[in-house]
Amino acid sequence: MLDQLFQFLVTGITVGSLYALVGLGFALIYNASDVVNFAQGEFVMLGAMIAIALVGAGLPLVLAAIAATLLTIVAGLLLERFAIEPAKGASVVTTIIITIGAAIFLRGVALLLWGKDFHSLPPFSGEVPIQLGGATVLPQSLWVLGVTVLLVALVRAFFNRTLPGKALLACSFNRIAAQAVGINVRVMLRLAYGLSAGLGAIAGILIAPITFSSYEAGVMLGLKGFSAAIVGGIGNPMGAVAGGVLLGLLEALGAGLISSGYKDAIAFLFVLLVLFFSPTGLFGHKIAERV
Amino acid sequence: MTVLPVPTSGGAPLLAVEGLEQSFGGIMALAGISFQAPEGLIYAIIGPNGAGKTTLFNALCGFYQPSAGSIRFDGHELRGLPPYRIAALGMARTFQNLQLFFNMTVIENVMVGCHLRARTGLLAAALRLPSVRREEQRLRTWASEALELCDLTDRAEQPAGALPYGLMKRVEIARALAAKPRLLLLDEPAAGLNDTETLALRELITRIRASGVTVLLVEHHMPLVMGVSDQLLVLDYGSVLAEGTPAEIQADPRVVAAYLGGAVQYAV
Amino acid sequence: MRLAGFHVFAALVVLLAVLFPDNYFVTVVGASAGLHVILAVGLNLLMGYAGQISLGHAAFFGIGAYASAILTTRFGWPGLLAMATGLLAAGVIAWLLARPILRLRGHYLAMATLGFGIIIHVVMVQATRWTGGPDGLAGVPPLNLLGWSVEGDFQWYGVIMAAMLLAVWLSLNLVDSQAGRALRAVHGSEFAAQMMGVDTARAKTQVFVVSALFAAFAGSLFAHQQAFVSPDSFNLTISVELVTMVVLGGMASTFGAACGAIALTLLHQGLVVFEDYEMLIHGALLMAVMIFMPQGLFVGLSQGTRRVWRVLSRRRISLPSTDLTD
Repeated sequence: MLDQLFQFLVTGITVGSLYALVGLGFALIYNASDVVNFAQGEFVMLGAMIAIALVGAGLPLVLAAIAATLLTIVAGLLLERFAIEPAKGASVVTTIIITIGAAIFLRGVALLLWGKDFHSLPPFSGEVPIQLGGATVLPQSLWVLGVTVLLVALVRAFFNRTLPGKALLACSFNRIAAQAVGINVRVMLRLAYGLSAGLGAIAGILIAPITFSSYEAGVMLGLKGFSAAIVGGIGNPMGAVAGGVLLGLLEALGAGLISSGYKDAIAFLFVLLVLFFSPTGLFGHKIAERV
Repeated sequence: MTVLPVPTSGGAPLLAVEGLEQSFGGIMALAGISFQAPEGLIYAIIGPNGAGKTTLFNALCGFYQPSAGSIRFDGHELRGLPPYRIAALGMARTFQNLQLFFNMTVIENVMVGCHLRARTGLLAAALRLPSVRREEQRLRTWASEALELCDLTDRAEQPAGALPYGLMKRVEIARALAAKPRLLLLDEPAAGLNDTETLALRELITRIRASGVTVLLVEHHMPLVMGVSDQLLVLDYGSVLAEGTPAEIQADPRVVAAYLGGAVQYAV
Repeated sequence: MRLAGFHVFAALVVLLAVLFPDNYFVTVVGASAGLHVILAVGLNLLMGYAGQISLGHAAFFGIGAYASAILTTRFGWPGLLAMATGLLAAGVIAWLLARPILRLRGHYLAMATLGFGIIIHVVMVQATRWTGGPDGLAGVPPLNLLGWSVEGDFQWYGVIMAAMLLAVWLSLNLVDSQAGRALRAVHGSEFAAQMMGVDTARAKTQVFVVSALFAAFAGSLFAHQQAFVSPDSFNLTISVELVTMVVLGGMASTFGAACGAIALTLLHQGLVVFEDYEMLIHGALLMAVMIFMPQGLFVGLSQGTRRVWRVLSRRRISLPSTDLTD
């Protein structure tokens, strides 16, 4: 029984790391622009699919991964430049619809290039499962965990120790004030999109050996990542990470202990419950209004 | 739907606040306020920034739940009631940060103000029953009356957001008046207005009093306050510093020291 | 005349049926558009007027559809009774959900409604014994309206168009009433609305329930028209489509929502010819419209037509410039 629990925990943290990375991407863009980028899941999908295609074309895994990440970052920057920037003054709802359009567009491109088939990547360091305690852990899971921890630490350092990172945070607290002190908000926005795309791509590449990727893979991942960001309190990057891990854990436990068919329902029920008890997420700022 | 209450007999003050305390976390914004506002007068509340004036207003309206004390309005205890029930008892207010409905025209804003005088519900509205049609007419008439009182008739069909700032503040007043309140709370109505607009405002407040509405006024503009008020309450650091007529307050050394300064004497 | 636009709309609907009674495009696509209009108009009351967002609206569409399907196929209930039950179910669920959910704001509200939509969808897929699982329920009997059994594309066009016109009429009435203004006031400023005596929590709940009822109504009609229901028609993509219709058409406008619904329905029809490129073009078009017409199609088109009209009329009444200087 304990072994089973441990197994669920391992699965949960693996999946949770994925959600954390995607959620981090949401939080970044939200911070820079108050917009939820519904194409975030598609960045994950693109990273995976491009890497798969490059490996299929003969490129070694490391090069394929790097190239895929870079290409996805370019996609993110292009999205910002050609879809978000022209609609600068639009309302938040309008911009959200634009990102939804972008998501559909990217899915359409993937469909065109790679069809409806499922693909996967070879695992980074072999398929031999490792025995950890009473649980079986795929080596790929360790990769997912390790890279996620590294990336989260890097992003944290970026926000706390570098000037561009602090400038990005400043944009989230008060955009007009940030502009007033000379922060180029447009550049910050582009940075945010590029960074989110990169994070998403890496997440996609990490998980591709474990799950099957297809043009639609980004949809549910994007949703779960969004949920992670919300549970953590949207706008709080570390909150998104915590939210992602929590979500992954609960989903794995729910799938294992209750029913795997209903696992998505359980995950979202958890999100709803969090929101009922904490309307601005677990670690989000309380919204105050002056009357 | 709600029915406006029948006023209690004269003699008792319209608003009686006793020992009102409001704390936010560790901060005591209101530290035991007591005062009485008689019916039919203009009662002003002044004091330096941070003294607790808007907090007091928000507590009176039900936006904040006071930690202690009592608020009796026309014989009813207000503590614990949500704002929409307090409004139904006959209180209306304007806001320091303009809270117009920018998604509607001027007259539509004021028609919302008539909400408590409307009777028809959602179903009747959806089916456009004759009662709804008649009510729309009535609401329009009432709203037009309120607009006329505030000199806004020619702006009725304009989107609320298209008006100059001073007029937007007046729309808020018209909207509050449309409910035919017994007590009108004006939260810094002169903020952002120039001298001409302030004079017009003074006239308007006097007209409002003449129509039988009691006015509670928070304001920084001393000439306006001293010129139009019947009674003043001075707040400082969440407590009552002094209470009296404009002449008494201007002469009170504590008030002069805390807020007014001695340089100018305002015409009473 | 207050309802001038409505009468023109109704006239168009009737005219199409008279002119093209056998045209697939009119009867089938038109019926599909009609259902979308009902959904979009209901959602618009919630989003455009009351300022709330719902990314799970397909759930109510599905509740109405499955109620009709399950009650008629598995229990043999008459169609109208099943529809009424579906409406009741949707209304009750919306009512229960409204209080806790509508306390939330912005993205949190979006998330909660999204989560709700997904939970309902998962139930549709998983509760196979009731819902038929991922394959859905077939064999939904024809809708019986007091003796008349609705069968065939043309009859369905008629029924759905009548339902659509009813929905549009109800929405127009609501918006132009004190109840509607109170709703818009909640969107404009909740504090001020409260001070006018509006019970904002109750108002938001009411509009949430009303929009759920519109959706469930469309759902019941859909179930009978298709004679089949499956979870694929009530997933997140559909919810997002509905929101897109409302925003595309221009929020806070009943005709805007109708416009958006019709446009998106036609778009999907038109794009089918592009096969593999359909999704790509759909996404690109969506982005383009929102970038260049951010206030929505309805406003954008009416502004565009006004501009064209001004240019045309200027050419007809150009004054000789010398008159004024002499």
